[in-house]
Amino acid sequence: MNNLYFDNAATSWPKPESVYSSAENQMRNAFGNPGRSGHTRTLEADRLLYKTREAVAGLFNINDPARIAFSLNATDALNTALKGYLEEGYHVIHTAMDHNSVLRPLGRLCKEGKITTTTIPCSTKGYPDLDFLDNAFKPETRLLVINHASNVTGTLAPLKDMIITAHKHNAFVLIDAAQTAGSMAIDVEDFDIDMLAFTGHKGLLGPTGTGGLYVKPGINLKPLREGGTGSQSELDSHPESMPERLEAGTLNSTGLAGMLKGIEYILDRGLGNIKEHESNLRKYLYNSLAELPGINLYGPAAGDESSCIVSATISNTDSGEIGYILESSYNVLCRTGLHCAPLAHKALGTFPEGTIRFSPGIFTSKEDVDYLVKSMKEILKLVQ
Amino acid sequence: MAYTCYITFPTTFFAIRAESVLKNKPCSYKMVPVPRSISSSCGTALRCECNELGAINIILQNNKIEIEGFYRLEEIGLKTPSVEELFLDE
Repeated sequence: MNNLYFDNAATSWPKPESVYSSAENQMRNAFGNPGRSGHTRTLEADRLLYKTREAVAGLFNINDPARIAFSLNATDALNTALKGYLEEGYHVIHTAMDHNSVLRPLGRLCKEGKITTTTIPCSTKGYPDLDFLDNAFKPETRLLVINHASNVTGTLAPLKDMIITAHKHNAFVLIDAAQTAGSMAIDVEDFDIDMLAFTGHKGLLGPTGTGGLYVKPGINLKPLREGGTGSQSELDSHPESMPERLEAGTLNSTGLAGMLKGIEYILDRGLGNIKEHESNLRKYLYNSLAELPGINLYGPAAGDESSCIVSATISNTDSGEIGYILESSYNVLCRTGLHCAPLAHKALGTFPEGTIRFSPGIFTSKEDVDYLVKSMKEILKLVQ
Repeated sequence: MAYTCYITFPTTFFAIRAESVLKNKPCSYKMVPVPRSISSSCGTALRCECNELGAINIILQNNKIEIEGFYRLEEIGLKTPSVEELFLDE
């Protein structure tokens, strides 16, 4: 029997067929090192990256595609933004729902005495306290980091309101869109986003090792890495123009070729249709699990807008053990534990035990959810 | 004396964007490695007949393509040619 995959918040699977074939085609035909050489296979790789940048710009409504630097993943993009922007004495505000990809870089900069931070507390459903936020700004506050959707509960941050608040206090915003790129509308120009970090292997349906960072014109980040770009080779300093500024070393053209097809699939199927599909699935899953006795659910209520995640616990039961039984007896794959977001679990009251996280994706069906719920029903009988 | 003209770009992004906006336009050009006798930030240049340079420049300017420079090189086979930088009206 095939696995039933409920771990799309970790990485999406399966990918559209075109993603697999495009990655292979890149290795066979567009294999030149982009920006280097100048022969036809390099030009093919250059064209591929150009097209991918344009596709990302189209998806997020970014006026200037050159302001998008490709990265290894969202963590890489977030590190580039945080370590490239923050300077001695800056104060940063972030929320309790943040992933370790934000908490750990900020933690290091704090430990080194470089910056100070304030954590915005979140409700038991994962929503940030907006009054607290408005009062948290100081004259030296230069950045607000917003987790667009929690990877533990799917809770959506009120992005527009938080951006307006940050700009009112003359701080930039960095959006962590790891859980929302490809499944929620993100309009960089309309929302007035300063920096947007995204990954390619989740909602964008691409291979791992892909992602990117958008940086608004006028923000000049110090690069995390410097080196070969294929341009201005005579200089001993790294080029300052975007995107080369943040793209030292050979890019993952193979992965990006796949990511491009993932984005094209999303645009073809329609972001609105994807959102509707996932929203219906989450509602159905949440309501079906809620009927089971002995199960505790976290995050937004069934009808509330959120990303496609349902987190659960069974009282006095190890979530890891439930995950093991789900796979070994039912072939259901999900994630259990702390999900790299310790403060979020503290806000939800699930620290240190963690949760069982189910994250359906765009290829998950209602029947798949029925099977999962039936499996959970049987497991609950065993543990009670 | 025969000459060939080159347009150079500050980044690969603009070189490929130039190619993309010229697609289906009635002008002949080729994307080529930048000749070593020209100093350029980006390794890919646009090569064209010198009598097409003006028309191509207008299309590129209309599409906000950032250009680093225009050059005219003497066609002398594989030997290093003499280079003349051109300054076109924008």
